[in-house]
Amino acid sequence: MKVCPFCAHGNREGVLFCEECGQVLFGGDLTATRKLARSTVQLEGKNTWGTARFSQHAVIMLQVRDNPNMVEIKPGTETTVGRYDPSSSVRPTIDMSTYGGYENGVSRMHAIIRRGEDTLTLIDLGSANGTHLNGQRLVPNQPRVLRDGDEVRFGKLVCRVFFKMIENNT
Amino acid sequence: MSNEQDLYTIIGVSPNALDEDIRRAFRQASMRLHPDVNKNPGAINQYRDISAAYQILGDAQARQKYDQRYHTRPETPEYFSLRVTPSKRVLTKMDEPQVLYLLVEIIPDRTIERSKLVSPVNVCLVVDRSTSMNGVRLERTKYAAHQIIDQLGEHDVVSVVAFSDRAEVLIKAAPLADKNAAKVMVTTLTANGGTEIYQGLQTGYDEIKRYLGRNYVNHMVLITDGRTYGDEQECLNLAEQAAQDGIGISAMGFGEEWNDSFLDRIASRTGGYTEYIRSPSAVVRFLNERIRSLGDALAERLTLSLAPDPDIVVESAFRLIPTPQPVTVDADPLQLGQLQPKMNTSVLVQLQMPALRHQGFRSLMRIVASGDIMWENHTLHQVVTDTSIEVRDNPPDEDPPLAILDALGKLTLYRMQQKAVESIQKGDVREATRKLENLATRLLAAGQEDLANAAMAEARRVSQTHALSDEGQKNLKYGTKMLLLATSQDRRDNER
Repeated sequence: MKVCPFCAHGNREGVLFCEECGQVLFGGDLTATRKLARSTVQLEGKNTWGTARFSQHAVIMLQVRDNPNMVEIKPGTETTVGRYDPSSSVRPTIDMSTYGGYENGVSRMHAIIRRGEDTLTLIDLGSANGTHLNGQRLVPNQPRVLRDGDEVRFGKLVCRVFFKMIENNT
Repeated sequence: MSNEQDLYTIIGVSPNALDEDIRRAFRQASMRLHPDVNKNPGAINQYRDISAAYQILGDAQARQKYDQRYHTRPETPEYFSLRVTPSKRVLTKMDEPQVLYLLVEIIPDRTIERSKLVSPVNVCLVVDRSTSMNGVRLERTKYAAHQIIDQLGEHDVVSVVAFSDRAEVLIKAAPLADKNAAKVMVTTLTANGGTEIYQGLQTGYDEIKRYLGRNYVNHMVLITDGRTYGDEQECLNLAEQAAQDGIGISAMGFGEEWNDSFLDRIASRTGGYTEYIRSPSAVVRFLNERIRSLGDALAERLTLSLAPDPDIVVESAFRLIPTPQPVTVDADPLQLGQLQPKMNTSVLVQLQMPALRHQGFRSLMRIVASGDIMWENHTLHQVVTDTSIEVRDNPPDEDPPLAILDALGKLTLYRMQQKAVESIQKGDVREATRKLENLATRLLAAGQEDLANAAMAEARRVSQTHALSDEGQKNLKYGTKMLLLATSQDRRDNER
């Protein structure tokens, strides 16, 4: 239960605006939320959950759950995600075997990140335990647009995907 | 064949799955959605489809036969897809219920050629001709009707029904052959009598039915300024029937006296929407926009079926884009109207989660979006998705996604206004006053000074006269609804 600081109404957990008086119930900074409510346009370019644009000079930062190190990936046209298995000859671009890929049910060839004109799409390759994008199970072989801050789950291995701009030094 | 559903998608397995995988997938679906464990109307509908699919795929011989056809069928493009964003990615393990919001977006394939997409409309204008419409209201409506007749093409079907205590067909449903004759018929319209909406709707419905078909966008537009008495239930039953036939109903209300919450229910049930027409001249613009947007559809009769796990309750749903409108969740599937070629349709769904006592991943809801594609063979396109969420003891702290926050912030204002009206209807004046004052505070904080003043004025009025003014109530209701429209436009600009 979350008690509203404004009207003392008891709201259920997870309610974002007090059901009685409309008071914002998440985070601490009220002025910041007011800004958000007016327009979403101002937030463009910030590192927020939701941007789909992946520019020419961007890289993927992949963070595997409970692992402090971020992996930086410069995506080619196709980047495969999977688990390297010595008994097979194929090696995925992103090898999850060092992150407990086997225990978490990552397939050898689990998914592909495909680079489009200025977006990235994620495609499940019919993996045994599935790929989830923000909790939504992907239908095998159907591409889905990846956005900055998305949570991708390969089997039970949870990763966060961030887009990072790299400086253009030419 | 083109309208046959993909049974593999329905069961949620790949076409080269082993028999054993299919059996397992079916067993898992049964555990969540079987009518014995899940009474949700969406679950009942979806389970029916799943078990029908399993009848075939679960039988080796039947499956083989199906596969032969399946592999030779023409490749259909993915006309639209589904994207689901939860307000939280990890829920907290706790012993009490909690709320979770899902933003469900139906995303059209934007690469589809726009020129292909002018669908013929089968539209019926149902015009209130009661005495109160006399004068400028009726004149502007006639003018608007003239413009629509001019605008529509030879493939479009149009009919006009006028009603007061009884209804009469001014223009019979038919492809527009003689526009001038049709316009003259509209000109003869004069005002007289009371308002019995059911008469008008029923007659309009009969006209629409004459050309009802999947190749048309079938829509009724009701234009009224009054209240109907005693026939509300019949109207709602008719709306239910219309929804099943794939006919949308939109309503436009003049002035202050029309019964908006009643017309909201009709529109919500059929995927249409309601519009408040403050000044008579605005009817021309609204009606034109409505009819023009009707022909511009990638998919028509768009529906969303929600089958939550048995312990989850779908509390409410609200369509945010393209036009903000509450959607009733007590019947399945939810009617969403049409999917425009360059714009997502998005719905915010509020769920109540049960006490969550175990860590790990758990399933949430199976979602099916369907719609009739409005060109080529008018195929039924269906997208199925299954959603799940993680439960943990100490979830990481993170802000909810902007899209949800922004929409919910404004939806909250709309809801507060509704709750104030409910309090008045219950006779609780103090409560209603307080709610209106709260609403004014929030509106002011959101930079909506005019609406905030209107809310304050109504708060004062309620405390003195124990009633809202009709005008003020509609101002607040449609004013807060308009805020949501602004949200969707911002997002549309941002949308790539």
